[in-house]
Amino acid sequence: MSVRLTEGAVEALFKGVEVNNPMLQLLSIRQIGAPSASPRFRLMMSDGQHSLSSVILATQLNYLIEQNLLVPNCVCLLKKIIINTLADGRHVVIVMDLEILQSAEETGGKIGNPTPCSADGKNSSPKKVSSSTSVSASPPSAAVPGTSYSSSNTAFSASGGRGRGFTGKAPVNASPMKASPMKASPMKASPMKASPMKASPMKASPMKASPMKTSPMKASPMKASPMKASPMKANSASPAKAMSIANLNPYQSKWTIRARVTNKSNIRTWSNSRGEGKLFSFEIVDESGEIKITAFNNEVDKFFSLVEQGKVYYISKATLKAANKQYTTLKHEYEMTLHANSSIVPCDDIQGVPTLNCDFVPIAELENRDKDAIIDLIGVCKSAEDVSRITTKSSREVSKRELSLIDTTGKVVTVTLWGDEAEKFDSSGQPVVAIKGARLSDFGGRSLSALFSSTVMVNPDIPEAFRLRAWYDKEGYALDSQSLTETRSSVSGSRMNWKMLSDVKSESMGHGEKADYFSCIATVVYIRKENCLYQACPSADCNKKVIDQQNGLYRCEKCNRDFPNFKYRLLLSANLADFGDNQWVTCFQETAEVLLGHSAEALGQLRDTDEDAFDEVFQKATFRTHIFKNRAKLETYNDECRVKVTVLEVLPVNHREYSRRLLSNIHKLAS
Amino acid sequence: MAGILDVPKPRINCSMLSQHINRAVCFVGRVEKVHPTGKTFSVSDGEGNNATVELNEPLEEELSGIVEVIGMVSNKGAIMATTYDVLREDKGTPFDLELYNEAVKLIHDFPQHYPFEVAASG
Repeated sequence: MSVRLTEGAVEALFKGVEVNNPMLQLLSIRQIGAPSASPRFRLMMSDGQHSLSSVILATQLNYLIEQNLLVPNCVCLLKKIIINTLADGRHVVIVMDLEILQSAEETGGKIGNPTPCSADGKNSSPKKVSSSTSVSASPPSAAVPGTSYSSSNTAFSASGGRGRGFTGKAPVNASPMKASPMKASPMKASPMKASPMKASPMKASPMKASPMKTSPMKASPMKASPMKASPMKANSASPAKAMSIANLNPYQSKWTIRARVTNKSNIRTWSNSRGEGKLFSFEIVDESGEIKITAFNNEVDKFFSLVEQGKVYYISKATLKAANKQYTTLKHEYEMTLHANSSIVPCDDIQGVPTLNCDFVPIAELENRDKDAIIDLIGVCKSAEDVSRITTKSSREVSKRELSLIDTTGKVVTVTLWGDEAEKFDSSGQPVVAIKGARLSDFGGRSLSALFSSTVMVNPDIPEAFRLRAWYDKEGYALDSQSLTETRSSVSGSRMNWKMLSDVKSESMGHGEKADYFSCIATVVYIRKENCLYQACPSADCNKKVIDQQNGLYRCEKCNRDFPNFKYRLLLSANLADFGDNQWVTCFQETAEVLLGHSAEALGQLRDTDEDAFDEVFQKATFRTHIFKNRAKLETYNDECRVKVTVLEVLPVNHREYSRRLLSNIHKLAS
Repeated sequence: MAGILDVPKPRINCSMLSQHINRAVCFVGRVEKVHPTGKTFSVSDGEGNNATVELNEPLEEELSGIVEVIGMVSNKGAIMATTYDVLREDKGTPFDLELYNEAVKLIHDFPQHYPFEVAASG
C-alpha cells in the first residue's frame, strides 16, 4: 500500500468530530432511496482500524459511482465533509468532495482489519450469534467478514428471517448490499436517516431493539439485512422516528406520526353557497395525545377505505391548522387536513399505541358537570329499552335506544344511542359499555346522548372495563341504585322538567314558538263540575263533539255521519295550586279519569241519576296532591292571547323521590 | 302527659341528644334490642347510632320496626318516653330512615326556616 489511511479518523467521525482531509478506504457502496428518485449512495469507509457505514455521498458526486470511478477498495481523500447529527445522537457524514488517490486495483484489497464502529464498542453479533464461535472469539465481527456474515445472517434469519442474500463469501463489499434498498428521501434532508434502518428492525419487532440500534452502524452485513427485508421497501414515505401527536404544529413540515384511529366518521356531503363537497374525518391517538384529521373531496376517495377504526397507521405530510373547536371535542390545539401528498401507511408494530384515550367520569359526578359538556363514560349496561323510531322535527325518522348504565359509584344514568348504533347495540349479558364524547344533558335530570362523533365501545379491551365487570358481577348487579335520569320512574318521552307553578308566569312559559313542557307537584283546589262532560262521537279514535239532532240521532261532522248513541268524554277545567301560585289547567279524558277516579261513562250515568254522588266524586278529588306533567302554550282565542296549560299525565307523588329532590335543591341553594 | 304535648318537640337524631338534655323531643328510629324486663329498649337512627328509650310501664307486646318516641332526654342521654307510636310497614311506602335523617339534619341546619317556637294563635 502506498497510501496511508488516516487511522483514528473513522472513530472520530463516528463520534461527530470533524477530521480534516482524512484518507479512507472505500469498503462498500450501497444505493439507497426510491428507485424513482435520484439515487443516493451510502458508503462504508475504513481507516484500517474501524469502518464507518454512515457515510453518504453528496448527489453531485454520484457520477463517480455511476462511472465506476469510485469502487470498493479504492482509497479516497475526503476533501470536504459535513457531519450531521441525528435526533438520537448518531452522526452521519456527508461527503461533499473527495479525491480518489488510489484505485481499487492498485490497492489490492481491504487495508487492515477494520472493525465497525459502534456506540458500545462491542459488536452485537456476539449477542445475537451465540452459536458462532468465530464471531464471539474475534473482536468485532468484521475481522472475519465471511463468517460474520453468515453468522449474522443466521442470527437474522433465526430471529426474523430478515437476513437474506448473504452468501457470506466476499468481504463486506459484496453486491447484495448494494442491492438492498434504502430510503432516499430522508437522506436528502440533512440528518441522515440511519433511522429508517433503525426504525424498521425496531418496529418490525423480531429484532431486539438495542443491538439493532447499534448494529446498522457497525457491521455492514447486519446492516444490510434489516434494510433489505424492511417492509419499507415499498413505500416512499419512510417512517422516520415517529413524532408525538402532542408536538405536532403547523410550523414543522417534516414529521411522521404513528397512531391508532379511534373514531372514524362516515362520509358526509355538504352543499352551501360556496359549493359542495364531501368529507370524512377521523381521530387518532398515540401515547402523547389525540388529534383530529379530516379529508376532503379527492382525499376522501383515496383514504376512506384505507383508514379503519382501531388500526394503527403511520401518517405524514398533512396540513396542520388551528382546531375548529366547534367541530371537535378533542383537546388538541391543531387539527390535520389530508392533501394529495399525504401518506397513510398501515403500521404493524402497535407497541405502546393506546387503544383509546378516555377520561372517564364517574356517574355520580355527572351531576356536577355542566349541561352540554362532552364527556367520556364507562359503565355496565344494566338494561336497555328496545329500539324505537322517532320522527324528528325535521321530519327525519331516526332510531333511538336508551340504555341504563351503572358504575362503581352505584349511580345509574340513561344514555341514548341514535341511528345505526342504536340498532346494532346488543344489550344481552349486561355488557360493559364505554362511550367517548357523549354529550351530557339535563334531560330528565342528567342523561347522556351519543353524538355523531361519539365512539361507543361494547366490552372494550381496557382495564377499566375489566374492573367494572368484576365489580358488577360481585356486587353491582344487586344494587338498587338511584338513577340520575328521573324518567326511569315514569313514561319516558315526556320530559321531567320540574318547575313550580309560579314559574309558569315568571318564565313566560309557552310564549316561545314551541310549547313548554314541565312537571310539577301541585294540589287540586277546584274542579269545575259544569261542562265537565261532553257527548262525543262513538266511533273509535274520533272524539269530536256530536250535535244532538233532537231526533235520537247525534251527528258527527268529522265522520260526516249520524249516530244513535254517543260516548261521554271528560274535559275538565281544574285549578291547581302549590305553595307559590295557582294555575288553571285543562284535563282531557285520560288524565281527568285519573283525577276523579271514575270513568267518563260512569260519571255520565251518575250525573243523570245521582246528583249527590256526582258531587261527591268531585269533592273527593279536591285537595289531593299529584305529580302533573303539563304543556304550556300561548294560544289565541278570539283575539285574546292566553297561556293555556294542558295536563298530559297525572302521577301519584313519590315522596321519597320528591324528598330527595327537595334536599338536593336545598343543598344547592345553600351552597 | 298533658305537659309534654303542649310543648314543641323537635325531631332529633342521636347526635343531637346531648344538646336537648332535659327537653322534650321526638325521636324516630328502628327498634334494635328490647330489654328482657320490657321497660327499656334501644333504637337506632338513620345514621346508625343507637339510643336508649326508657318506659314508665313495661311493654305489653313485642316491639319491632320503626317507632316514633316522644319524651324527655335524661341527663344520661336516654329518652324517657311518655308515648310511642309504631309506624306500620305493611302499608304504603316503606319508611326511609336515612332520608328522614337527612331531613332532620336539614331542620337543624336551618333554624331560621324551621322555627320551633309555639305558634302564636291568631
